[in-house]
Amino acid sequence: MIRSIIKRDGRRVLYDQNKIASAVLRAMEAAREGDAEAAARVANAVEGEIEAMFPAQSPNIEAIQDCVEHQLMNFGYNATAKAYILYRANRTYARDANTTLMRTINEITQADAIASDLKRDNANIDGNTAMGSMLQIGSAGAKAYNEMYLLRPEHAKAFREGDIYIHDFDFYHMTTTCTQIDILSLFHGGFSTGHGYLREPQSIQSYAALAAIAIQSNQNDQHGGQSIPNFDYAMAEGVAKTYHKAFYRALTDVIEDQLDLDDASDAVKEALTGAERTAGELAKLENKPGFDGALALALHNAFGLETDKAQSLLRRTRSRAWKRTDHETFQAMEGFVHNLNTMHSRAGAQTPFSSINYGTDITPEGRMAMRNVLLALDAGLGHGETCIFPIHIFKVKEGVNYNPGDPNYDLFRLSCKVSARRLFPNFTFLDSPYNLQYYVPGRPETEVATMGCRTRVIGNVYDPTRQISYSRGNLSFTSINLPRIALESHHDEAAFFKRLDEMLELTAQQLLDRYEIQAQKHVYNFPFLMGQGVWLDSDKLHVADEIREVLKHGTLSIGFIGLAETLTALYGHHHGESAEMQEKGLAIIRHMREYCDRKSQAMKMNFTLLATPAEGLSGKFIRQDQQRYGKIPGITDREYYTNSFHIPVWYPIQAFEKIRLEAPYHALCNAGHISYVELDGDTARNVEAFEQVVRWMHDCQIGYGSINHPVDRDPVCGYVGVIGDVCPRCGRREGHRVPESRIEELKKLYPDVVAFRGIE
Amino acid sequence: MEEKLQQAESLQDNQDEKLGEGVGFERIRRITGYLVGTMDKWNDAKRAEERDRVKHALGAQ
Repeated sequence: MIRSIIKRDGRRVLYDQNKIASAVLRAMEAAREGDAEAAARVANAVEGEIEAMFPAQSPNIEAIQDCVEHQLMNFGYNATAKAYILYRANRTYARDANTTLMRTINEITQADAIASDLKRDNANIDGNTAMGSMLQIGSAGAKAYNEMYLLRPEHAKAFREGDIYIHDFDFYHMTTTCTQIDILSLFHGGFSTGHGYLREPQSIQSYAALAAIAIQSNQNDQHGGQSIPNFDYAMAEGVAKTYHKAFYRALTDVIEDQLDLDDASDAVKEALTGAERTAGELAKLENKPGFDGALALALHNAFGLETDKAQSLLRRTRSRAWKRTDHETFQAMEGFVHNLNTMHSRAGAQTPFSSINYGTDITPEGRMAMRNVLLALDAGLGHGETCIFPIHIFKVKEGVNYNPGDPNYDLFRLSCKVSARRLFPNFTFLDSPYNLQYYVPGRPETEVATMGCRTRVIGNVYDPTRQISYSRGNLSFTSINLPRIALESHHDEAAFFKRLDEMLELTAQQLLDRYEIQAQKHVYNFPFLMGQGVWLDSDKLHVADEIREVLKHGTLSIGFIGLAETLTALYGHHHGESAEMQEKGLAIIRHMREYCDRKSQAMKMNFTLLATPAEGLSGKFIRQDQQRYGKIPGITDREYYTNSFHIPVWYPIQAFEKIRLEAPYHALCNAGHISYVELDGDTARNVEAFEQVVRWMHDCQIGYGSINHPVDRDPVCGYVGVIGDVCPRCGRREGHRVPESRIEELKKLYPDVVAFRGIE
Repeated sequence: MEEKLQQAESLQDNQDEKLGEGVGFERIRRITGYLVGTMDKWNDAKRAEERDRVKHALGAQ
């Protein structure tokens, strides 16, 4: 007779037959067969079987559960047996997950980030800090919950085993990825951050400060990066307001000085307002011809000044107002850049991932803003450090800035010069046909803008009248492990495409499941994004409305990684190695894009194909594949899979050839793409050579590209450039000392030598 | 942070004569479109990828 049983944790507890009966009854209820009496009969039989198996000792819980399964089948309760087995398997998985979760939290708590890859998963989070650890623990808990409760079993399995990767999985049930914030609409009439109301800004400093606040407010409503698509057009308004004030102030000053008056401000204001009313425009950087004449006349009438004299005072006024505005604009841009590099406002542990797009505003005000933001980027942070944020994206467009003679050609040249030193701006190319098709001159919202990471949202199947970049973004994205599909297909092309189709379907379904969770949220869940009308059409919703419909302006993106390894697995070499492989590579990616287009039409939602950025992913998939297949040369023998459609980073190829080969993939990956070339420091600093590479990107119809080159800095002497083992300026080796007298000498030679105090 | 404080302390000892002991060079690199200030925050796979990158010569168009 059974007296006690042994629990999983080894504790011995009193045996109770009722517990078996009630577990059986629960399974019967789930399977809709049997009743309490039947459950008691099964429990009796279980007891008999156990007594026979364990005549002398206490049985353990697993053995009892085995007997329950056995007896349920014995009695013919097959559906109940199935329900019981599934329940048991789920409980086992949940127990394991709990143990794993605790182990993960233990690692986050105990290990130093240097030793823990887990803690360096996102390079923007310092896993050693309190808020960083809190963020990582929260993330680990959310992931465990989401996998157990929200994913369909087949999606959970595909995710767990590395067939797919669900990005930002910790935020699965919380929010969406990103938005291109139209700050002009946001600023007009003022806005609320949720913690206070901000009036419409009135100077370039306020425009820049509020732009940073907009990014900060929105990033707490979403899990991805934030971008401003119209930085030039928006800042232009701030420059205009600052200039108008500066003009009035300078005019008052010169009049008072000229006429030796204590206070001419009221009379000057009256004259200025009158002239502005006549001209139908405010005083600005470049007024229409006749404006200054009308103002000179007004000054003549008000102060009795000769017209010639008044004209000469106006020239001085313009010169002073320009200088002051330019100076204030630089300070505003510098403040903006410093702000975005220093505010650890994302859950207290991250600076927001921020990007700004500009390049096409040809007004003098927009041009002044752009020149100064580029100069601020070039100057770097307080000690000359290269700015990490925001990502600057220069929009290249023929007729606007691409060719000599275009109104903003000088800014394109300046962008190349700054990027050659500071790695930013990146370049996006509006003339590439797949971007040009949306472009309407005079409507900057139709210009492609990009998130710094590469996310691109412009086409709109849901609402074809709104094919714009403003106020939209990605909802979520999931990436497919392409090399694995190739490995499992054993060089059989047809089998590969069949498996690929199954995986595309599974991924699309998972994205739709996630959309369904997102769609059930309400405006009040996103006080800034939806509450302030940042997202397209959210201004038409009430605070308690579901966001289901307006979310459809966003994209559901299917990503991929490792085209190079995929081709190698299928055919023996990759697309950098032969024209034939290039065709094969394009066929695979085109196949995926066509799937997305079909799905978009069927669902009337924006399914798009993404060349996945894959920061954490590049190592995850390959580690899982190494466990399955071992280290296969050219496929799984490195620590990472190659990014999206890129030619492998280790493969020797010339810059122009790499760009030429990668360009056609940009046209196919409509959710975003980027190509890099790696230049050595000397080549990159040759601005002519740098510009030549950017022009080649444009001519090859690249969508978004940037040039990598080493940017090192010695914090002791402030040198920025390429540093090998020895700093070329102060001559010290890494970690070694340099005499202070040497630094003093260098200070005389270079203005950017820092006043080094050991802590930066 | 702790490391930096130690650096600062060791500097204060002999700040009059020598600067820079224990201070590394910053090496800024780009991953996934974003820049990262120091590579010690990169994950292992990305560190390996950065290590393997080869430079692209300009050559002919």
